[in-house]
Amino acid sequence: MQNKIEISNLKVRYGDIQALNGISFDVHENEILGIIGPAQSGKTTLLKVINRTLEFTQDTTLEGSVKLDGVEINSIGDVHGLRRRIGMVLPLPVGLPLSIYDNVAFAPRTAGLRNKAKLDEIVERCLQQAALWDEVKDRLDSLGTKLSGGQQQRLTIARALSHQPEILCLDEFSIAVDPITTMRIEDVLKTLKNEMTILLVTNLVQQAKRLANRTAFMLNGDLIEIDETDVIFSDNPSSQSTYDYVNGNFG
Amino acid sequence: MKRSVLIYQSIALITLAVAFILFWSFSKGTPFVESGLTFDETAADSYSVLQENLYRMVPILLGSIFFSIAIAFYLEEWLAETSWIYGIIAQQITILASIPSLLYGLLGLYFFVLQSEKGSFFTHALTFVLLVMPITIQSTQKAIRGVDISVREAAFALGANRWRVVVDHVFPNAFPTIVAGICTAISRVLAITALIIIVYIWKEHTLQSGDTFNIPSSVIVLLSFALLSSVISSFLEKKTNLT
Ligand SMILES: Nc1ncnc2c1ncn2[C@@H]1O[C@H](COP(=O)(O)OP(=O)(O)OP(=O)(O)O)[C@@H](O)[C@H]1O
Ligand SMILES: [Mg+2]
Repeated sequence: MQNKIEISNLKVRYGDIQALNGISFDVHENEILGIIGPAQSGKTTLLKVINRTLEFTQDTTLEGSVKLDGVEINSIGDVHGLRRRIGMVLPLPVGLPLSIYDNVAFAPRTAGLRNKAKLDEIVERCLQQAALWDEVKDRLDSLGTKLSGGQQQRLTIARALSHQPEILCLDEFSIAVDPITTMRIEDVLKTLKNEMTILLVTNLVQQAKRLANRTAFMLNGDLIEIDETDVIFSDNPSSQSTYDYVNGNFG
Repeated sequence: MKRSVLIYQSIALITLAVAFILFWSFSKGTPFVESGLTFDETAADSYSVLQENLYRMVPILLGSIFFSIAIAFYLEEWLAETSWIYGIIAQQITILASIPSLLYGLLGLYFFVLQSEKGSFFTHALTFVLLVMPITIQSTQKAIRGVDISVREAAFALGANRWRVVVDHVFPNAFPTIVAGICTAISRVLAITALIIIVYIWKEHTLQSGDTFNIPSSVIVLLSFALLSSVISSFLEKKTNLT
């Protein structure tokens, strides 16, 4: 099994707040890695390190190493190219103030694609994958920010897929999405994992149980445990706090 | 939709204002030509010098507005807020922008009217540049900062570079507020130009001929434009605050 991402002894601080206390683990190629843990455990911070958007937060310090395909990400000169290899879906949809079409075509265009037919094809494929195509195919020119919250979230998923990323990071993507649509997107994720590696941060432990090959449990900036999802959700994971969190009797 | 409507509205208002100016100058001759004022020969000569001096400020104004916007984008997008250069520049701009425009008005009076022999193109330009640039830079900075950080981050996460993020997202979003700032600056300029003309005519005509002082038509035009552009400005500002 190939390692897509190798993280070792990663420490992150925001000013005086320690958000990650030196965590190490690998992410395998073409797996869905579920990342679960209570609020403030550092899950979002971890994703921001991987696509190097933590750089926009002032006064952060970062130690340790994160390797993508064996290459240290902080040594990559073309940070924009790096970010195009990673799709990111945030908890709440961030609609770029553009039309639905332009939202999805933005990243491919940024990467230099101009061919209209190719763009059309990408837009349709990504909207299909995000389970949004049927609802918007007749109004691709209207503003993305005018869609409902759940539709906007699916639009950001389509956008994250538009540059054919090697890694897809989803940060609690289903907060603003209704259960049925969530199920449809989950089905898509199961097929997408053949093409890419997926990091699924979720506050719904059942979602990790349904989708993830392996699951990591984080708590207060520490990685408590990472193992096959079956093990994490079994009656005897190696840590008691994992058992408590997964079974909902935490704190 | 909100954003594009705002852009169209501001463009429409600007076009309207420009059309009005053009219409006015064609129907009445240039706004500075006075009817009903009798100058003797030398006074008329020096009045046309004043007109010429004022007209020469138009390209200076346009240039400094353009330059101010560029500086503001450079400061906000390319220069880190923590760098010491940013601190120094921002401080100077704040100081200059907080000087009441009356003081610039006095400066203008000094160079354009009272000491017109000493006033050169350079001193005239400097007066207007100092009047316009600091407030335009400041309002543009404010407009840039008003663009939601999440929009910026989302665009970066898609692999866009700084330039694309600025051109595609920050500028269109900040545009109405930037225009509002420009309108404020223009209304200050117009008001001060009106002041210069009033004092000039009072000094060269009323004092000399002993006639009663008539407000010249050009002053009325200038002041109505000053009013119009502050109305546009506050209209745009209200609109953008709603979104
Ligand atoms: N921009 C920031 N500035 C300062 N501290 C921050 C910032 N972002 C996160 N933190 C801190 O870092 C720690 C980890 O936060 P993070 O957002 O990574 O947690 P999380 O696991 O994603 O939580 P949640 O489940 O609530 O999304 C928290 O203590 C948080 O207060
Ligand atoms: Mg989070």
